[in-house]
Amino acid sequence: MIVVDNLAKAFGKRGEVKAVAGVSFTAPDGAITGLLGPNGAGKTTLLRMLATLVVPDSGTATIDGRSVTADRYGVRQRIGVLSDARGLYLRLTGRENIGYYGALHGLAGSVLAERIDALVQTLGIAAIADRPAQGYSQGERMKVAIARALVHDPAVILLDEPTNGLDIMSTRALRDLLRDLAAGGKCLLFSSHVMQEVSALCDRIVILGRGRVAASGTAPELIAQADAPTLEDAFVRLLGTGEGLAA
Amino acid sequence: MDRPRSGSAPARIATIARKEIVDTFRDRRTMFVTFLTALGAGPLLMLLVLNLAANQAEKARELQLPVAGREHAPALIAFLERQQVTLTPAPPDFEERIRSGDIDVVLDIDPTFGADVARGKPGIVRLVYDRSRDRARAVIAETDAMLRAYSREWGRGRLLLRGVAPEVGLPLQIDMHDLATPQSSGSLVLFLVAFYGLFAAVMGGVAVALDTTAGERERASLEPLLLTPARPLELATGKWLAVCLLNLLVVVLTLAGFYLTLRFGPVPSIGIPFLFGLTEFLRFVVVLLPLILLVPAILVYVGSRGRSFKEAQSTVSLLLFAISIVPIVQMFLQRKEPGWLAWVPVSSQYALLTRALRGEALPALLLAQSYVMPALLAIGALLLVARLLSRESVLAGK
Repeated sequence: MIVVDNLAKAFGKRGEVKAVAGVSFTAPDGAITGLLGPNGAGKTTLLRMLATLVVPDSGTATIDGRSVTADRYGVRQRIGVLSDARGLYLRLTGRENIGYYGALHGLAGSVLAERIDALVQTLGIAAIADRPAQGYSQGERMKVAIARALVHDPAVILLDEPTNGLDIMSTRALRDLLRDLAAGGKCLLFSSHVMQEVSALCDRIVILGRGRVAASGTAPELIAQADAPTLEDAFVRLLGTGEGLAA
Repeated sequence: MDRPRSGSAPARIATIARKEIVDTFRDRRTMFVTFLTALGAGPLLMLLVLNLAANQAEKARELQLPVAGREHAPALIAFLERQQVTLTPAPPDFEERIRSGDIDVVLDIDPTFGADVARGKPGIVRLVYDRSRDRARAVIAETDAMLRAYSREWGRGRLLLRGVAPEVGLPLQIDMHDLATPQSSGSLVLFLVAFYGLFAAVMGGVAVALDTTAGERERASLEPLLLTPARPLELATGKWLAVCLLNLLVVVLTLAGFYLTLRFGPVPSIGIPFLFGLTEFLRFVVVLLPLILLVPAILVYVGSRGRSFKEAQSTVSLLLFAISIVPIVQMFLQRKEPGWLAWVPVSSQYALLTRALRGEALPALLLAQSYVMPALLAIGALLLVARLLSRESVLAGK
């Protein structure tokens, strides 16, 4: 479970760029929570703070009860992150790429091998897993990057715009995988600027605008809250403007 | 499933180092070129130098001397011919041709030679040459020595004729005692081997170091890597170890190239002016070890700092230039080094390498001294890398 309380982060010399300005929300286990907001709403910074890569200026966040600032490495063992940066080692095979991360997470021997096999099976990349990553398509690279992020079986999974650059088939496969993970009891936090993406997949939605939470709840709750005919209208009303929400 | 343990720090460092080495060896073309250059370039250069030396020796042995005005000093000509010198008439434009490098040296006998000698004055012969031409030196020295020998013989004859012991005219007898062992002469070849060994230790890890650092950033694989339980210092250490290992490999290959060339190669029979056997091989590795460990640490730091591969590359070329200029400066200094130089990395290694080539033992104190600074600098560089990797801004460049 992710609990975020009044988290804030500013950049720039005098902190003039307030990327995240007091965000609070909770993402429960066994569900996919969507982080929806226009470009520049602070989604990536928020996820990076949860992933312990960026230290918040104020506020707290815990992953399964562990503070992202006080217990960085405890948190890292419990999260799997698929960020914008999904570079693979092109001269290594898919299996080796996944194995490297598994080994860094302390897995070894047959435990690691079985884990990789299971992921290769689930993601349907058995045909390419033993080839160098050099020749992979976008979708194949993405799948290996996901396997890499999940190799240590994390309880919490953070995904930053995971469907960027994927074709329809890969996107559908990814959705199925994420639903399965949630059904298996994992806590998923999924950021996107595409409304359809979020509404199709997420159980709960947190709408971010200008570094703040504009609203949160299930889709019907948001529609009721905004008194709007559709979810899209609800977004626009809740954000206060029609800015940047890609349809 | 119970929570995975994140393993121990040494295990993670080993994992990182192993991955970098495997990754590097997969880059077949770069590896092939690196190893081939390491094995081949040094010996090739050395063969060139040794052949040059052999040619010079050959030239001195079969001296060919163009002479202008041979009719003015028949006795001198007869003496030279007795010394197995092949005399040829000098072309009229010999000064021009010496300048252009067609002829090394010309003996020009003054037209007044006969008249001067008859009047008891010294006869004038001119040796015309261009001293800036290295390959002419042996011939110049040989001709000069022969003319002096002739002069001495002639003078001795005159003294005897006057009933004076020739020793009267030679109050000083000079006996040359050259303390150079067979190994300590031949300084150019010596310099070349030492320099090349040093060069290998400095260059050996460049490609790998940049690929594991700046390349990681450019590939967008740095952020996921930083999300693993591997601490920044473990990442720095693992990558550094991998680069060190490959650097060591390049150095060993380079030295092996020298060793094999001298042992089995078509080395001209002039007698090699120094020894490079297994002992020297091992001494070289021992002397170069501090650099083999230090340079990768600096390279990993530079590579982690650069926003891009290109930026890191330009910093590295500057660094390499600075390092490789040290032994050259030292060679041109041509005097005994001040004591503090034994503490300076590269400089101390160069001094120890030339010592090893001269067949001298390596004093433990000097060796220990040469290890101190590299060790401190390497640790410092690794700590800096770890600090860089734990900064938030490391993600900015992707």
